[in-house]
Amino acid sequence: MTDPQAPATQRIDRSGTDAAVRLFNSSLKAHAPAESAKRARKFGTLYIAEGHLLAMRRYIDIIIAYSVGNPLMYLFAMGVGLASLVDANSANAFGVSYVTFIAPALLVSAAVMTAAGEFTYVIMSGFKWNRTFYGPLSTAITPYQISQGLQLAVTTRIFAQSIVYLLIVVLFGATGSAWAWVSVLIATLAGTAFGFPLMAYAASLEEERGQFQLVNRFIVMPLFLFSGTFFPLTTLPWFLQWIGWISPIWHGTELSRVFSYGYQEPLWLSIVHVLYLVALTFIGWHFSRRIFARRLEG
Amino acid sequence: MSTSIPTVDHKDLMLSGSNRPFAALYGRNAKSVIQRGLLATKTSNASIMISGFVEPVLYLLSMGIGLGSIVGDVTGPGGHTMSYAAYIAPALLAVSAMNGAIYDSTMNVFFKMNYAKLYQNMLYTSLGPLDVAIGEIFLALLRGFMYATGFTIIMWFMGLITHPAGLLMVPAAVLIAFGFASIGMGITSYLKTFQQLDWITFVMLPMFLFSATFYPLSVYPQAIQWFIQAMPLWHGVELLRQLSIGYFTPGMLVHVGYFVLMIVVGVTLTTRRLRALFLR
Repeated sequence: MTDPQAPATQRIDRSGTDAAVRLFNSSLKAHAPAESAKRARKFGTLYIAEGHLLAMRRYIDIIIAYSVGNPLMYLFAMGVGLASLVDANSANAFGVSYVTFIAPALLVSAAVMTAAGEFTYVIMSGFKWNRTFYGPLSTAITPYQISQGLQLAVTTRIFAQSIVYLLIVVLFGATGSAWAWVSVLIATLAGTAFGFPLMAYAASLEEERGQFQLVNRFIVMPLFLFSGTFFPLTTLPWFLQWIGWISPIWHGTELSRVFSYGYQEPLWLSIVHVLYLVALTFIGWHFSRRIFARRLEG
Repeated sequence: MSTSIPTVDHKDLMLSGSNRPFAALYGRNAKSVIQRGLLATKTSNASIMISGFVEPVLYLLSMGIGLGSIVGDVTGPGGHTMSYAAYIAPALLAVSAMNGAIYDSTMNVFFKMNYAKLYQNMLYTSLGPLDVAIGEIFLALLRGFMYATGFTIIMWFMGLITHPAGLLMVPAAVLIAFGFASIGMGITSYLKTFQQLDWITFVMLPMFLFSATFYPLSVYPQAIQWFIQAMPLWHGVELLRQLSIGYFTPGMLVHVGYFVLMIVVGVTLTTRRLRALFLR
């Protein structure tokens, strides 16, 4: 009598090796090794991204708190509180209300800061502490796919977070344009433009000696403060303005303002913004792939 | 061969507890905890130490100069008109005192407590939990004192201190740091994972944004004003801002008293927690 509940080993005894493999594969819904390898080669990037996104569930509470709490607090503090001071003392300095002026900037800054958070310790951990990048190597997945998969996962997180941010901006009535949704794409691009090169840097590090804290203090914070987020870049003295020109936050913010409330800037400048962000993203993508390959295959 | 075995009085082998008050808590040797901390600082990354000082300066440059040129003059304590940079500078000092103290007493202490097992080792010696608490908090305050002095010098160079009482901002900033450090260390002893540390930053952000740091409290409805006035950072901001222009009011005693209370509660909590965790 065949008992469907019987342990697999008993059935293996009865039905011989080939049948056992077939049964094993069908019961776990796994593919034959050759088929698995083929799929891994094809979809490796997606598999890695899926793994990282699932891992993010472990700290989903703080992700949600940050994605919703941060925009709410910043928009309220700066857009309502500080705005009362700015609008009272120099009404119409921006042509729009202060909250409309800073909302696109805060959207882009938040994307860049999330990228800064996800592309530092997580990368070092994958190589050094948890060594999660080495597991997939024993499959047909390549180092290139491991690098890209991680990038895809974080980009997805930034994209989702930016949508939430935009919705809150809309609730604050801080955008008047039907094109404001484009700023979600711009923010995500700014996040990758800053994050991918940072990932390449993080992947190149063998030891943690406080470098990430320095990146945060000496690169992320200055870029946030000197990127025309809270006031136009031109109100700063000339010797501080260059920080904005090299900053993905400034390029993203300016572009985002064009779509959020019809901020006027020459078309060529908008094109420069896009090209700059795409170039940084591409450079970061290229070098993180190379460095991942060097470290994982070396 | 004559063997003379020394006679041992049985009493010599007995350990007896000290009759000194608080002997179980305090081994009168916080100094060695401090010494160890200073030695450890020598081998740590100097640029990280400097970075804690740089952050408020960057905020002052960005917000004070950039935003200041848009905002212009604002009304400070007692109706004094002051530049926007002079208005936010004392607030930034208070924020940096808070940040530094919280960083030292949460991230650092969490690591030493759970990963380096430092306190466990210290408490196996004649050191008591109060020695550890005093030593660690002193180290945090020393760092805070250096940051506050540096920032005050920068304020003075930028012409943002117009009254000699502004120098009192340095001890006041240390008092603020003391309050946050002692509470922070107590709270850290309850934390179990690194992710929970994120919640501390998450509580600090609204305090930083809403405590009259960048604009006066009067923009809020009454209920929210009361809530913010119950938070420690607001008292720090008010205290430093009043000192920076030498505007003395009886209300200052409330601000100072708030932090004194915070210190007493924090040190008591930390000591009790260290005892409960390691001296069972």
